Amino acid sequence: MNSTRIPIDLILERMAEDAEKAQKRTSKASDVLLGELNYELGSTPYEIVYEEDRVRVKHYFRNENAENKLKTPLLVVYALINRETMLDLQPDRSVVKTFLQEGIDLYMVDWGYPTRKDRFLTIDDHVNGYMNNIIDFIRKKHHVPKINLMGICMGGSFCVMYSAQHPEKIKNLITTVTPTNFDTDKGLLHVWMKDIDTDRMIRTFGNIPGDLMNFGFLLLNPARLMIDKYVGFMENMDNKDFVENFVRMERWIFDSPDVPGETFRQFVDDCYKNNLLIQSKMFLGGKLVDLKKLTMPLLNFFGEYDHLVPPQACNQLTKASGSKDTEDVCLETGHIGIYVSSKFQRQFAPKIAQWLKERDQKEIKQEPQVKREQQLQGSTVNKKPAVKKASMKKKAARKPKITGQAPPRKSKLSLIQKISEAI
Amino acid sequence: MADEDKSSPFNESSIFDWMKTASDMWLNMGQTMPSNSDSAFSTQTAVQNRFTQQLETNFNLLKSFFRMMSEPGSASAAASSVSALPEIVLKMASSGFGAAMQIQNHLMEKAGNIGKRTEAYNFDNLDQEVFRALTDVYEKELRQYLKIPPLGLTRFYQERFNEMLDKHNLFETTLAEFLSILYLPLEKSFKVLQEKLQQMAEEGNLPSQTKESYGMWLKILEGHYMNLFKSKEYTDTLHRTLNKLEDFLIAKNDSMRDFLQLMPVVTQRDMDDLYKEFHLLKKRVKELEKQVGISSNTLTVVK
Repeated sequence: MNSTRIPIDLILERMAEDAEKAQKRTSKASDVLLGELNYELGSTPYEIVYEEDRVRVKHYFRNENAENKLKTPLLVVYALINRETMLDLQPDRSVVKTFLQEGIDLYMVDWGYPTRKDRFLTIDDHVNGYMNNIIDFIRKKHHVPKINLMGICMGGSFCVMYSAQHPEKIKNLITTVTPTNFDTDKGLLHVWMKDIDTDRMIRTFGNIPGDLMNFGFLLLNPARLMIDKYVGFMENMDNKDFVENFVRMERWIFDSPDVPGETFRQFVDDCYKNNLLIQSKMFLGGKLVDLKKLTMPLLNFFGEYDHLVPPQACNQLTKASGSKDTEDVCLETGHIGIYVSSKFQRQFAPKIAQWLKERDQKEIKQEPQVKREQQLQGSTVNKKPAVKKASMKKKAARKPKITGQAPPRKSKLSLIQKISEAI
Repeated sequence: MADEDKSSPFNESSIFDWMKTASDMWLNMGQTMPSNSDSAFSTQTAVQNRFTQQLETNFNLLKSFFRMMSEPGSASAAASSVSALPEIVLKMASSGFGAAMQIQNHLMEKAGNIGKRTEAYNFDNLDQEVFRALTDVYEKELRQYLKIPPLGLTRFYQERFNEMLDKHNLFETTLAEFLSILYLPLEKSFKVLQEKLQQMAEEGNLPSQTKESYGMWLKILEGHYMNLFKSKEYTDTLHRTLNKLEDFLIAKNDSMRDFLQLMPVVTQRDMDDLYKEFHLLKKRVKELEKQVGISSNTLTVVK
């Protein structure tokens, strides 16, 4: 018979220690929770420069003293699910702030909260309606023929569709965690969406409720998102900074506008069910979305551990595009970890700024003499990409860069980072 | 037996006596009412007059009924039917009891299978029979009452209300099934953790910190959920629950609309029609603006 050596005394001692710690923590936590907390999102100042129906455009004030300020403004288009405040979640984790410090003239679309009257708005209304009007507005304001466009998740898909239909207005395209290939069973969302009866859903709900979608997202990883997350909160609720950041994240996650019914229908039917976008078979407003018309430089980010939009849903875009200057960047994180984890704050936004600056300077060298007014009238559409061949990524040898390969999963991750990777 | 029948409290002679007494009493009561004199009529209102006439008719009806019942043939038939009453009640009770037992046996049979579905990390061929049985019982034994065709002027309102109750019941049973599936990984993960801890204890290697045990359990739970979510059974149940929820909401909205129409409130359907027209109109205006060359932007610069 094997003799067992169970350190009962040690276990009991640890349990007593834990109980004592928990008691102290609870007592301190009451001071923190009852005290004044700052959990505001999106604290970076901005002005609203454009409004149409429920849609608004935020313009942020960049650092005018930054070196190599970008001449071309950047428009960021967020998804219709959740809100763009994620890019400015907290003062020390703000993609917006990094862009401004890098001298980027930043505009961001705020899609607002769709109401019942928006249920008939299609993807075409969003892409060729609102987005086109906003882009024309920015072009006119800055006297430039083209602007830089960056899309996030579903907003990235919109940007891909827009750039394919209006390549003459987009100088550089950046897609982040953007689903374009839906023929994969790697993400649970892709599996579940295949059998959704969109007609019935729209008949029932009109717009698809944000809460319903949030419930679906929670179900993607209930162990982490419904249990571990709150256990982590209980363990750290005596830490004011932690509580503030946790509540910020919580506010962002559950701030989920409804999705207009017809937009949802088209996105699910055309993309999730029939995978038309990546095959260049999708139609918007009666016009084909041909990805070969994506001839502008294209930078494509995605997360290796993204459960919502897995790498397989993102990494086909560069191959399908008609651009000769493309780059895939795969970060070792989840769907929102790219934007909010402290680690990727140093790898994500600065990389975009650098990438844009390289292309901004090069293009300017070739186009300085063109009169802006002439450009606005569309006379420069046929200009060839000015990026030197040496800097191009060859399509054949295009293997996504996997950045951040330090052992994040073994090291002690912060809870916020864990949450962001779990989503 | 014949003697017993004769001694029954429902024998003919006692009924005759009772009927005669009752009949006489009510007729005497009737005679004590004021006579239909001219003076009485003159003071009676039209309603009172109608009441007196109706009472008189009723007395006459009662009288003729008692007379008919006093005849030996009728009384004997009544007595025998009353004697058969306990038997009828017993038959009715036994058939009802039989049906209830059948339902219960059906449920117990299915419920007996619950314990069989506890294999770790395996979610194929989940036995959700008990929930199907509940749905079955509801559909076969109870649902029919909600499907009785309503009659009369309000039949459509009743129909829609019953439809809402029906869809609600179906949604509840499907939701119960879905929640039970969601609970399965918890149940299984505890079992796996228990086995793991037992093994570690045998090796003298028990985690000394609760956090370690928690971390172990969480990983097991996450693994179970990932396996569950990939199973066809889960996806089917998820979609079935969503469909039943949608059915219920549609039926609820239809029924609610009936109530709202009684009030000066615009219904969602009215608004949807309006929104659609508004949306199409807006599109036409924008298209026309483009054709004419007017900027469609409603630019507002807020400082």
